[in-house]
Amino acid sequence: MKRLAAMKDKGSKAFVAYIMAGDGGLDKLRSQVETLQRSGVTAIEIGIPFSDPVADGPVIEEAGNRALKNGVTLDKVLLEMKSWDFEVKIPLVIMTYLNPVICYGAERFAESCKEAGVSAVIIPDLPFEHQRLVSPYLKAAGIMLIQLVTLTTTENRLRDILQEAEGFVYAVTVTGITGVRDEFTEEVKAFMKTVRAKSPVPVYAGFGISKLEHVDLLRDDVDGLIVGSAIVKAFHEGEFSGIQPLIHAVTQTYPV
Amino acid sequence: MTRVKICGLQEVEHVTALDGADAAGFVFAPSRRRISIEKAARLAAELPEGIEKIGVFVNSGLEEILEAVEKVPLTMVQLHGDESDELIRGIPVKTIQAFSIRKLEDVEKLNRSIADFVLVDAPGTRFRGGSGKTFDWSLLAEAAVDPGRLIVAGGLDAGNVRSAIDALGPYMVDVSSGVETDGKKDSHKIQEFISLVKDDSMQNMKETKVEAGFFGRFGGQFVPETLMKAVKELEAAYAEAKEDPEFQKTYHDYLKEYVGREQPLTFAARLTEAWGGPKVYLKREDLNHTGAHKINNAIGQALLAIRMGKRKIVAETGAGQHGVATATICALLDLDCVIFMGEEDIRRQQLNVFRMKLLGAKVESVTKGSATLKDAVNEALRYWVANVEDTHYLIGSALGPHPFPTMVRDFQSVIGKETRTQILEKEGRLPDVILACVGGGSNAIGMFHPFITDESVRLIGVEAAGEGVDTDRHAATLTKGSEGVLHGSYMKLLQDENGQVQEAHSISAGLDYPGVGPEHVHLEDIGRIEYKAVTDEEALASVIGMSRLEGIIPALESAHAIAEAEKTAAGMGRDEILVICVSGRGDKDMAIYADRLEGLA
Ligand SMILES: Cc1ncc(COP(=O)(O)O)c(C=O)c1O
Repeated sequence: MKRLAAMKDKGSKAFVAYIMAGDGGLDKLRSQVETLQRSGVTAIEIGIPFSDPVADGPVIEEAGNRALKNGVTLDKVLLEMKSWDFEVKIPLVIMTYLNPVICYGAERFAESCKEAGVSAVIIPDLPFEHQRLVSPYLKAAGIMLIQLVTLTTTENRLRDILQEAEGFVYAVTVTGITGVRDEFTEEVKAFMKTVRAKSPVPVYAGFGISKLEHVDLLRDDVDGLIVGSAIVKAFHEGEFSGIQPLIHAVTQTYPV
Repeated sequence: MTRVKICGLQEVEHVTALDGADAAGFVFAPSRRRISIEKAARLAAELPEGIEKIGVFVNSGLEEILEAVEKVPLTMVQLHGDESDELIRGIPVKTIQAFSIRKLEDVEKLNRSIADFVLVDAPGTRFRGGSGKTFDWSLLAEAAVDPGRLIVAGGLDAGNVRSAIDALGPYMVDVSSGVETDGKKDSHKIQEFISLVKDDSMQNMKETKVEAGFFGRFGGQFVPETLMKAVKELEAAYAEAKEDPEFQKTYHDYLKEYVGREQPLTFAARLTEAWGGPKVYLKREDLNHTGAHKINNAIGQALLAIRMGKRKIVAETGAGQHGVATATICALLDLDCVIFMGEEDIRRQQLNVFRMKLLGAKVESVTKGSATLKDAVNEALRYWVANVEDTHYLIGSALGPHPFPTMVRDFQSVIGKETRTQILEKEGRLPDVILACVGGGSNAIGMFHPFITDESVRLIGVEAAGEGVDTDRHAATLTKGSEGVLHGSYMKLLQDENGQVQEAHSISAGLDYPGVGPEHVHLEDIGRIEYKAVTDEEALASVIGMSRLEGIIPALESAHAIAEAEKTAAGMGRDEILVICVSGRGDKDMAIYADRLEGLA
């Protein structure tokens, strides 16, 4: 995760890929991570399927349902990751709803994440106020808890949240759920500028980013972009090559 | 888990409040709370099994101590004076030696004690989490006292016990005046104290817990960041409206002029006779405009939305009763209305779907998951996330993130308040038992809440057992569920061992939900409300009974409460009083009744 700050200092942009663990079978997870790593992504978010993913749009929800049908659980994903013998050079981030964590036990979760080589965790339905439920255990295990901020985050909250930020800040680009979108407003650009000006760590924009136009529009005002539904869709349809230009558009450094 | 000792017991009536405690203390030294050995023996006989009985002495002789150990009998002895090591060795049960800690030398003394446990006392001092003026708890940490033999006492109460536990991790906490009111033990405070200490699974919630929005350890605001602003705004707006007489007046005017309140508390003469037990009264929420209690809440929230400048409403519905109530009030107040309803429920409740459409609402079918209430809530939440700036989510039960469970309860409390006044008028006393069905829990909490502090009133919530609680087709969350987070709240859920929420099943669409409101979970946890489960078949049988004996065709949901009431009545006497909340009428269920009761004799 240290590299993320170094990248920001150098002015290069991060590309974070989201995948749904076990979509297509848990045995696919390894090859998906390897593919993404080879394609030059900066970090990978590994989604844990959940029965009631209220922050997600249809693409990720359906991927989660497929994974659940395949019997994928938080426990199995962490065990699978622990068993990997190839070299993981980029940070792996677990994205899970809170209930599976509570069920698994917050302390055990933190320890298993550590054993599985996880660098950070994102829990979209665990607001800032209630983070003490898991944060002490994560801290003890040396795992970061990624903070989310949104267009509706008030100024005081933003300040409080950014104070706790570690790794990177997940700045949600839309007032809505994950999914493929057509456009972003000027408001989003202004929001990204504000967050970036105040944040002690890199600011990555996510939710709804799926096209080159989105990259062009947001790239200058953020430290990185997070792409989810488009990648989940590509893997599901076996068309990963379509994603490569998107990764390049974000990560390439333009000659000055 | 940290143990709890309740010290200074004097009255039998407080003994029952010790449920969940690990130790009871009897004071034999000169003190306001001193009791005789004989009295202690009588109290000890009433204590739950397995609870330690501890005698507290100050500089008594060994003989007196031995007499108490034998006669009460005591399982532990606690010493507060300058007892010698020799005396301690002569005591045949486990010992606790108490120390007042003011400086580091005191702690060293404590570390040299030969007693099994050491108790630190801070007379006249309140716990200050390490920054106390006269008593510095950090001394204990510095002197490396073994927490496994440490008992903490002195100024503990519900407000500070968690910080004491978190700071010191002691073997046991000891409380006396902290659970008293006006110098007497208070059963309610004792229970609150115990449940706070036993709350280890949510240890880290201590900061949020003292905030509003938690019932014990249940509740909270577990929503995506996008919704936090809206939830906080709602919290502030409701707090204001609640205290505004103008708002309350408008709300009550609508209840009277539009809903038709107050609703009767009908004496059910033929049911009373048929059951052969207590006098049975029916609280007639079935007589409300739109046919169920749901409108009490819909009006309150719609008025609040307008007050907040929001003229768009989104809601979920299960049986369609909440959807109809919401669509009705949106028509009346000229608000935009979108209702999410599971495809399966749309099929079961055709008539209500048509009513909503007729009233001008947009009904969105939800095909995901089990296509019932849980999935409708998911979709309504997603819609709210995307339209949060101008839309109010009008949730239909005592569920969801704070302030919803409290707000819905308050709007539904009109049921219990009326019932209370009515029964006092009719019978001159409170009922012995009150029953209500529990889906998310709104009619039940509205009925029960005004009676919570009346310990003589037995409160029974009735869940749906579907095809049986031992099958996997039921909705008995309190009976069979486990703790977890869904739809913004830490509550109880039907879930598998990996935390995936399971589908609920009930013939009644309004009870077909795999969670239950956080306040119910808390009230079950502290033992104030009992929860029972009734099967589809039992509920259907009650529909026939009630229809034929009283000429009232109940909703399927309400029939669950009636079925359990019949069982409860069997164990009651004729001079007792039982009240059933008839949450709604059966019109919406007529197709199911026609289908399932076809050819009935
Ligand atoms: C008539 C009736 N009773 C009870 C319920 C259950 O809801 P709650 O537990 O919130 O009262 C419903 C829900 O739709 C209902 O329509």
